Amino acid sequence: MTSSLNIFSKEEIRKALKDGSFTLHLGPFSHLLSGRGDALLDFLIDTYRDNRVEMSPSDVTDVQLSLEAPNVLRRFFRPQVTPNPGFEVPAMPLPLSMSALAHEMGLNLSVALKCCRFVNVHAGVVADDEGAIVMSAASGAGKSTLTAALLQYGYRLFSDEFALIGLDGPILHPYPRPISLKQETIPVVREMVGDNWISEVVKGSPKGDIAYYRARKRDLARDQEPAKAKLILFPNFEKGVQPIAHQLNPAEAIMRLVPASTNYSLLGEPAFRAITGLVENTRAYEISYGSTTDSLRLVEQITGKKML
Amino acid sequence: MMRPIGIKQITGRSPLPESVMERIKLIQYADANHVLGQMASVVNAGAEDRLGEVFRNALLRAEHDHRMLQFEMNRLEHALTKSDIEPIVLKGGAYVALRKKAGNGRRVSDLDILVDEDQLVEVETLLKEAGWETEETTDNPYDQSYYREHMHELPPLRHRKRGTIIDIHHRLLPRTARYNVDVNAMRKMAVPLEGVRLKTFNDVDLFIHSAVHAFGDGSFDAPARSLVELSMLYEELSEEDQKHLPQRASDVGAAIPVSVALWAIGCFFSIKNALTQGHHLMKFRRHYILRWAIKSKTLTGRLSTLAKAFLYIRSHYLRMPLYLLIPHLTRKAFAWRPLSKKPVELPFP
Repeated sequence: MTSSLNIFSKEEIRKALKDGSFTLHLGPFSHLLSGRGDALLDFLIDTYRDNRVEMSPSDVTDVQLSLEAPNVLRRFFRPQVTPNPGFEVPAMPLPLSMSALAHEMGLNLSVALKCCRFVNVHAGVVADDEGAIVMSAASGAGKSTLTAALLQYGYRLFSDEFALIGLDGPILHPYPRPISLKQETIPVVREMVGDNWISEVVKGSPKGDIAYYRARKRDLARDQEPAKAKLILFPNFEKGVQPIAHQLNPAEAIMRLVPASTNYSLLGEPAFRAITGLVENTRAYEISYGSTTDSLRLVEQITGKKML
Repeated sequence: MMRPIGIKQITGRSPLPESVMERIKLIQYADANHVLGQMASVVNAGAEDRLGEVFRNALLRAEHDHRMLQFEMNRLEHALTKSDIEPIVLKGGAYVALRKKAGNGRRVSDLDILVDEDQLVEVETLLKEAGWETEETTDNPYDQSYYREHMHELPPLRHRKRGTIIDIHHRLLPRTARYNVDVNAMRKMAVPLEGVRLKTFNDVDLFIHSAVHAFGDGSFDAPARSLVELSMLYEELSEEDQKHLPQRASDVGAAIPVSVALWAIGCFFSIKNALTQGHHLMKFRRHYILRWAIKSKTLTGRLSTLAKAFLYIRSHYLRMPLYLLIPHLTRKAFAWRPLSKKPVELPFP
């Protein structure tokens, strides 16, 4: 039986993490986690408070992630942590205090490289009753900020990281992990959603300052409800730029989604069918903007749905 | 530490453990030892439950490898059209092409082929014309000449565009090896693959080569996979082939590795016939350290590091005489190695 994480005591969670029996259920995946230290514990208790968990798994899991010291020395002397998803990954050791980042990176690597029951496309996804908006962009293009902003206007969170497209039909599956915020986007989103929703900032990581925007309870409650896509966006944030939307034809959209997929070549034909299926009945736009308000206005224009 | 029954459970010879944590550990062990796909293809799981999804995931990964393999075999055939060379596809490539049980769900990372020693120059030239080139880690004068002088294969070739690797063998063991397996006798009995100009060993020789690879040469580097495959290949031999196996092993000079292999699968999978055959082929009751090391390395026991060291030393002892081995290992130990290539670029924070 799964229960909300916040009903367990800190000591129960600490023990389950130490024994490697802590199980997180989210969207289509279950994750077995092991790790140690207060940094990890405090992060999970705060940011994953409303997630469904088990202190001991009731079934086998899709992902097994162990956050461990890179070697014996680093358990004790200036302790470090590195994510071990069970296969070799290009992850560098981080100070133990950055366990939150190691945890999020480890889960991302596991899903991106190991889980192939879905086509994984690096994209933010939100949805309302009419369908999902897929936002695919490189890091730093404003995808997370736009995702966070749309959540304030009637959309629910699918994911800030992965569009999971089903292999049996072009349907998107929710995977509402916390939204990762970098550097200057932290204060922007903090102002948008309030202090309560943002995790402690991991300062001076190899990727700069990082913080996480907690997934909302109502979004987590609907993590088993897939949706069809209604819009595909390729956001492009650039300071001082005039807001503009440029419609792409299906072929252009496909050619941009393919390289953003982490398992396209592994899956081959089914991945091609899933991505073309997704694009087929959906409009796709490249949008450029210099502020969050501008980006929301563009989405308003394209969807015809009043937000601001 | 994995219990011996775990290896049986991977091949579906024993029911899966009841305890969920034990099940997860078994899956992790199978995944880390690259046999999760093979496990998924023989162990029944309901399509709807989580185990079924984990298995489906593993099979999808193997399907990718098999597509890659099929394409590489096609490209190889294409590259050799100018010649009349018909290479023999070895190991995983053969199991997959022949639709052997051992090939179902098997991960394959490269293509291994066997050609006549006289054909080496021609094959290498034709493959290089078709886009394969010297693989970067062995692209130095020492490795190049070491492979060519002493080994049983050419230094690996990597395709310029596709990045795939091909290993061209001309024997099954290094030139300097203590055992001398009669590869010509095996090549004579090779069978053509349907519809292509490639061949594979016959069923008996497939088992023999697998045994030679696991116990006659390497340091038993993929213990679980070797055992799983040997057991599946043995199980699929016809009754007649099984009877014929020990004689054939002696004829081609592979009695020792085959007897060790028969003992190992007999012992891990309780296959009585294999135990008896292994025992008749070679009375190696005295080899208790070898037997202990094989068990310990497979089950990752407390002394598995010691077992690994023993098997490593044994593999080198079998590979070449000391006057060649000592300078080689010394050089390898002190060799300057360039830093590895830049890590894979991943599209996330």
